[in-house]
This record gives sequence, structure tokens and C-alpha cells, in this order.
Amino acid sequence: MFFKKKYVVILGLGSTIAIAAAALPSANNEYKNLKVLPENISSKDLSKIMIDDFEDGLGVSCAFCHSLGKDSLRLDYASDAKPEKQIARRMMTMTLGINRKYFKFKHPMIGDSTLVINCITCHNGQPRPVDDEEK
Amino acid sequence: MKNDNFIGLDENDDGIDRAGFLKCMAWAGTGLFCIMSGGVLKSYGMSQLIDKATGRIKKGIEISKGDFSFAQISDSHIGFNKPANPDVVGTLQAAISKMNAMPSSPSFILHTGDLSHLAQADEFDTLDQALKSAKTGKIFYVPGEHDVLNDNGKQYLQRYGKDTKGNGWYSFDFNGVHFIGLVNVVDTAEGGLGVLGNEQLQWLENDLKGLSSSTPIVVFAHIPLWAVYPQWGWGTRDSEQALTYLRRFGSVSVLNGHIHQTLQKVEGNITFHTATSTAFPQPQPGMAPSAGPMKVPAEQLRNLLGLTSVNYVEHDHTLAVTDLPLSSAKTDQPEHQ
Repeated sequence: MFFKKKYVVILGLGSTIAIAAAALPSANNEYKNLKVLPENISSKDLSKIMIDDFEDGLGVSCAFCHSLGKDSLRLDYASDAKPEKQIARRMMTMTLGINRKYFKFKHPMIGDSTLVINCITCHNGQPRPVDDEEK
Repeated sequence: MKNDNFIGLDENDDGIDRAGFLKCMAWAGTGLFCIMSGGVLKSYGMSQLIDKATGRIKKGIEISKGDFSFAQISDSHIGFNKPANPDVVGTLQAAISKMNAMPSSPSFILHTGDLSHLAQADEFDTLDQALKSAKTGKIFYVPGEHDVLNDNGKQYLQRYGKDTKGNGWYSFDFNGVHFIGLVNVVDTAEGGLGVLGNEQLQWLENDLKGLSSSTPIVVFAHIPLWAVYPQWGWGTRDSEQALTYLRRFGSVSVLNGHIHQTLQKVEGNITFHTATSTAFPQPQPGMAPSAGPMKVPAEQLRNLLGLTSVNYVEHDHTLAVTDLPLSSAKTDQPEHQ
């Protein structure tokens, strides 16, 4: 299928990973350093994206993209220290773009279950998508 | 698929080699009966014990009535609604019904974490509401990583962590058995491994100091305290330190959840046991690209979900662990004799 071949390759290329590019809430329930996901996203929507799209879609845990705080074993969700987080942002932007351009979604949102293309389309439970031809 | 980190040799001389390990895994969903005596765990598949015709224990097999019993429920994931199980409240209620149908009510329930799927207030409310129908004296909790998603566990602590230490760890005594609830999901390590942390380990060392070595110990925590499959984060980075404190005791049972399937390992006097989920199954270690909800044919789902019942016999200091799948209409609990 044209679509599948072409866009699965596009999604796979350069996507070493894709995961949480968000920051979990501070005490007043506001998120810090959200750049692709909406700043006013609800706790439930954000958690759902982190679990359903990233954790299940890529088979990774939070620490794959989020770095530990300084001298701490607790994740600093706002930190951009890990390059994987920046890649995740690019992957989300790409995914939204594909759904907008090729599948006519006017306002695609990560986490929307009606999107045609999402993380698991290419990642299939793995941090790095496997090209069928590589198998 | 290559599985370099499977247990291939019986390196610890504990009777569990790769074949034994896989055999234990094959029991998942069919039920498991274990008797621990003097630090040695004897395990039987439920098919060896249960007469399929009557649903009761086979003739000639005697199981002592425990001085008390408790149940373990794990990984309820209230809020989960994907195809692997769109009705997690229904399957939790089925587990509670199963437990309520036992010949004697458990003295208490241990919930070993992932009460909720997304740590939302309404999910915790739904769980609380469902557990109100459980016929038991009390419910003890430890958090799973899903319960601390949004706030590093603040809401969990407010709801379930009163009178606990640190991130929610605590201990209590019941009929001569010392129970310890540990938290290994708030701090984290690379790859998603659990972490107990120095503060909790220090507390554990102090908590155990005054106990005689003959005191039976039950430890419960969400992520397994043994290296089930570290590639998927199925282990706890600093659990070895905790086990060092526990090795002097004659009988230690470690009950975990997280991996949504029944596995066992015996290491000296320590028996490790992981429980099935009430929500959805996960693949066997290394048998899928990654861990995560596993969709199975609808008619098989309840074979892979369940709860665990534990009977304690005081004069023997023995714990009998029984895993009960949700599948059968009848209660698979053996008749006490």
C-alpha cells in the first residue's frame, strides 16, 4: 500500500525514539516547558499520552526521555537534558503534520484516538521502528 | 527471539533453572498452589490439585486449615479502557466476588499497586467503591508507578498512605507474622527499574533489627524485588540490599505485582511470587517486542487474570500461596479439611 510504505519509512527514519516531551505538573498543577503539547492540557490527557502513546507505543518507561534531577533519583520532567526528549518533540510535530497534510485533520492532537498515524503505527512497541526490509 | 538474560543455569542452587522458570510461567492463569515450609517452597499446578469434574481438591490431598488467610490483589488499572480489557471494573469485581466466595474470608487484602491507570481522582474513587464490597477486615496498599504519575505520589499518599513513612512504606504485625510494605516506584532508574532508595533501605534495616530470626516475614511491593527481566524494567535496582537484611530470617515471602503474571523463584529461605493482574495480561518475558497490555481472545482473558490467596499456619510457620484465575464459575479454593 502506497501510504503505508512511504510514511512508515518517513516515520521510521531518524526516529531513534519518541516519547514524553512534556513536563508533569508542579504543585499548582501547571506544567512547565511544554512546547508541542498544549500548555493547558489536563492531567488526565497528558498522562494518557505518556502511557498509551509513548510507554505502550514504544515499550519504554519515563526515564527513556526524562532525566533525573540533580543529585536525585526522581525524574525532572521539565528538564531538556536528554536528547531523546527533543527527538520526541520532533516526532510529535511530524506525526501531527502527516495527519494534517495527508489525512485532512484540521486540528490534529496527539492522543486523539481517531488519528490515522500515531506513534505505534511505526514503532509497534519498540523504541526504534524496525523497517520490514531489515527483518 | 534471543533471551540472553533468562535464567539458564541453576546458579543459586535454588532448584529454579530456565526450564523450571518457564514451567512456572506456564502455570500463569491456570492457578498455582504453593506451600512454604522451612524456607522451601513446594509448588503444584492447580491441575494437579483440582478435580475438574467437581471443581474441588482431589481426593487424597490434604491441606491444613490456615490460622489466618489474606488475599493479594494487584494491578487493577482502573481507568484503562483499551482492547486488552475494556471492562477493568468488571474484572476487578469478579476478583472480589471470587474472594468473597472463599470458605473463609481473608483477614485482610494486600493491594500491590497500580490501583489506577492514570492516577486520576475518579479512578481512585472507582477502585474504593468496588473494594467496599470485599468481605475483609482491612486493605493495605503500596503504590504502582501508575499511581504516582502526576504528582510523585502526593494524591496516593493522601488517600492510602496515612501513618506511613517516606513515600508510603510501613510495616505491621499480624498473628506473629511481620508484614512490610515497600515502595519502589517513586524514584526510578534507567530502563524503568524500581528503586527503593537509601532512606527506605535504612528504615527497613532498623525495622527488622528487633525481630528474631524465626519471625515469618511477608514483604510486598509493586515491582518485583528480583531480576525477572531487567530489559523491561522488571526488577528493582537496589533490591539486593533489602534481601541482605532479610536473609537471616527462616521464612520470607516476597509478593509483587507489576508484570501481570504468575512467576516464582526460591532463593534460600526467600520465596518470590508475582501475582496476576485483575485488569489485563502482559507478555511473558522476552516473548514480545516490549512489555505492555496484551490482547488475547475474549474467552481466554479471565484465565489470565486473577488474585492470590495466602493461608498461614502458625505452628508450622508455613504460608500456602494459591493463585486463583477469574475464569471458573466455581471457586477453585480447595476445601479446608
